[in-house]
Amino acid sequence: MSESILETRGLSKAFGGLIAVDKVDMAVETGKITAIIGPNGAGKTTLFNLITGVYPASSGDIFFQGKPLKKEHAHTRATLGIARTFQNVLLFGNMTVLENIMTGQHPRSRYGFLESAFRLPKAHREEETISLNAMKYLNLVGLGMHAEQNALSLPLGQQKLLAIARALATEPKLVLLDEPGAGLNILEKRELSDLIHRIRDMGISVILVEHDMPLVMGIAEWVIVLDTGKKIAEGTAAQIQKDPKVIAAYLGEDED
Amino acid sequence: MLERVKRKWYYSVIVSLLVLLIVIPFDWFPGHYTTIMVLIGINTMVTVGLCLLLGYTGQVSLGHAAFYGIGAYFSAVLSKTYHLNPWLAMLIAAIATGAFAYVIGYPIFRLKGNYLAVATLALGVIVYILFGKLAPGGPDGIAGIPNLSIGGFAFDTWFKRYFLVWGFCLVILLISQNIVNSRSGRALRAIHGSEAAAESIGINVDRFKVKIFVLSCVYASLAGSLLAHSMAHISPSSFDPMVSVIVVVMAVMGGLASIWGAVFGAGIVVMLKHELLLGFGELEIIIYGLILMLVMIFMPEGLFVWLKSSYVKLKELYIRWRLGQIRRGAET
Repeated sequence: MSESILETRGLSKAFGGLIAVDKVDMAVETGKITAIIGPNGAGKTTLFNLITGVYPASSGDIFFQGKPLKKEHAHTRATLGIARTFQNVLLFGNMTVLENIMTGQHPRSRYGFLESAFRLPKAHREEETISLNAMKYLNLVGLGMHAEQNALSLPLGQQKLLAIARALATEPKLVLLDEPGAGLNILEKRELSDLIHRIRDMGISVILVEHDMPLVMGIAEWVIVLDTGKKIAEGTAAQIQKDPKVIAAYLGEDED
Repeated sequence: MLERVKRKWYYSVIVSLLVLLIVIPFDWFPGHYTTIMVLIGINTMVTVGLCLLLGYTGQVSLGHAAFYGIGAYFSAVLSKTYHLNPWLAMLIAAIATGAFAYVIGYPIFRLKGNYLAVATLALGVIVYILFGKLAPGGPDGIAGIPNLSIGGFAFDTWFKRYFLVWGFCLVILLISQNIVNSRSGRALRAIHGSEAAAESIGINVDRFKVKIFVLSCVYASLAGSLLAHSMAHISPSSFDPMVSVIVVVMAVMGGLASIWGAVFGAGIVVMLKHELLLGFGELEIIIYGLILMLVMIFMPEGLFVWLKSSYVKLKELYIRWRLGQIRRGAET
C-alpha cells in the first residue's frame, strides 16, 4: 500500500451532547479517489470541516502528509495543500467567474497591499501568472465562455464546476468535494466524473462526500462508510456493496 | 460589450472629474465654492476608506469620525503646542491612528454584523467624549493651527489648499482603485462574499479585515490632519458620532462598492450641508435619514452606479423608440 496523504486517529467532534464524529480512524491514500458515504447525519460534512479546520476537533489527531494538522488555522491548511468545495457552493457573488478562480490563486501568490497600491513590477508579474493559471483552471472545467459573467448568473451545475475550479486554483495536493453531484442532471454528472478523474490524473488526491451511489461506485477507488459518527466499514466499491453492516445502515436493521 | 460600456464610463468619469476639478476654483465661481470643494475633497478621503471597508470587505464601521478626529487632534496638538513641522505632525498622526486601529482591530473584528456596528458606534461615542474632556481646549477645541507649507510656500488660502487637498485625494483614489483590482482586493471582496469560502482558499480573513481597517483609518486620519491645517480651528463637534453616520450616507450615496462614487457621495452631501440645508439647523439630520432610506430603497447600489445603469437603459429605450419609428415609417 502506498503512503497515505491524510490520516486521522481517534478523531472526534462533539457539539454539546451530540457526538457528530466519533473516534474515526482513517487513512486516505495518495493519488486515489476516496469516497465517504453514509446516511444523512452520519457526520460526513463535520469530518470535512474538521479536516479543513472550520472548527477544532474535540479529541484525536489529523495528519497531512505525516505532519500533524491540529494546530493549523483553516487558511494555513489551504496553503499547505488542502482545498475543498462546499455543499452550498459558496461562490463569491460579487465577482466574475474568472475573478473567483483568480482568488483561488491567493495562497500561490505573495504580493500585498503595498505592491498593488503602487502597481509595482512584482504586482504586474504575479498578476500575469495569476490570470494565466486562472484561465487554465477555467478551461479545465469548461467555463471558458463565461469568464466575464457574474459567478451567480451561472446555472447550478456550472456553479459547482466553478467551485471546483476555484479549489483547484489553490494548487492543492488533496481536494475535498462536498456533494459535488447534488442537484446535477445525468449529463452534468457524467461530466463531473470525467472531471474528477482528470483531477486524480493531475496527481491530486480526491476525497468526496456523495449521496449518488452510481456516481460513487463508478469513480471511487476506496469507500469509507460512516454511520452516526462512527466508521462502520471501508473497502472497494464492490466490497462495500456486499457489506451487511452497510446495508443495515442504509436500509435499517432487522428488529428481531 | 458590457465591459466596453463600463470602461468607457470609467474613463469619461475620470476625465470629467479632472476637468471639473481644474475649472472650479477659478474666479468665475463665487469664492466660497473653493472652500466647499476643499471640504468635499477631505470628506471624499474618509468616504473612500469606508467604501473599502464597508463596500468591498463588508465590514461596517459607524465610528469613523473617531479616527478622523484622532488625526485632526494629533496634527493640531503636535504642530501648535509642540511646534512640530505640520507635515511631521500629519505623519505622526497617521502612524498613531494606524497603530490605534491595529490594536483595537483584532478584538473588534471578532464581532460580526450588528454587533460590529454597535461596537464601532460605541467607539465613536467614547472617543468623542474624550475629545471634549481630555484633549486640550476641551469643548472649545484648538484654534490657531498652523498651515501646511512646502519650503517658503504656505497653503494659506483656500485656492492653494484646494490643490493640496485634491492632490492627496486623487492619490488616495488611485491607490484604492489599484488595491481593489489586485490580489488583496480580491481577498477583501472574497471576505464580503463568503468568509468560510475565503478561509478555505487560504485567505487569512481576520488579518485582512484588520489590515483594511487600518488603511481606512489612516485615510481618515490624513483627512483629519488636512482639515485641521486648513480650517486652523477644530473642536470635538466636528467629530461627533453623527459625523460617522454622515460618512456612511456619503458612501451609500456614491455606491458602496465604487471608489469613484465616493467623490459623488461626498460632493452631494457636503453641498447639501453647506448650501441647501443651511437654514434647517437640527432638522438637517432628518433629511440625511430620508436620503439614506430613499437611496437604499430605490438605488441600493448608489447614485453613481444608478446613473451609469440608467444611462445604459435610456440608450436602450432610445434605440427601441428609433427602431419603432423606422418600422412605422416603413409601414406607411
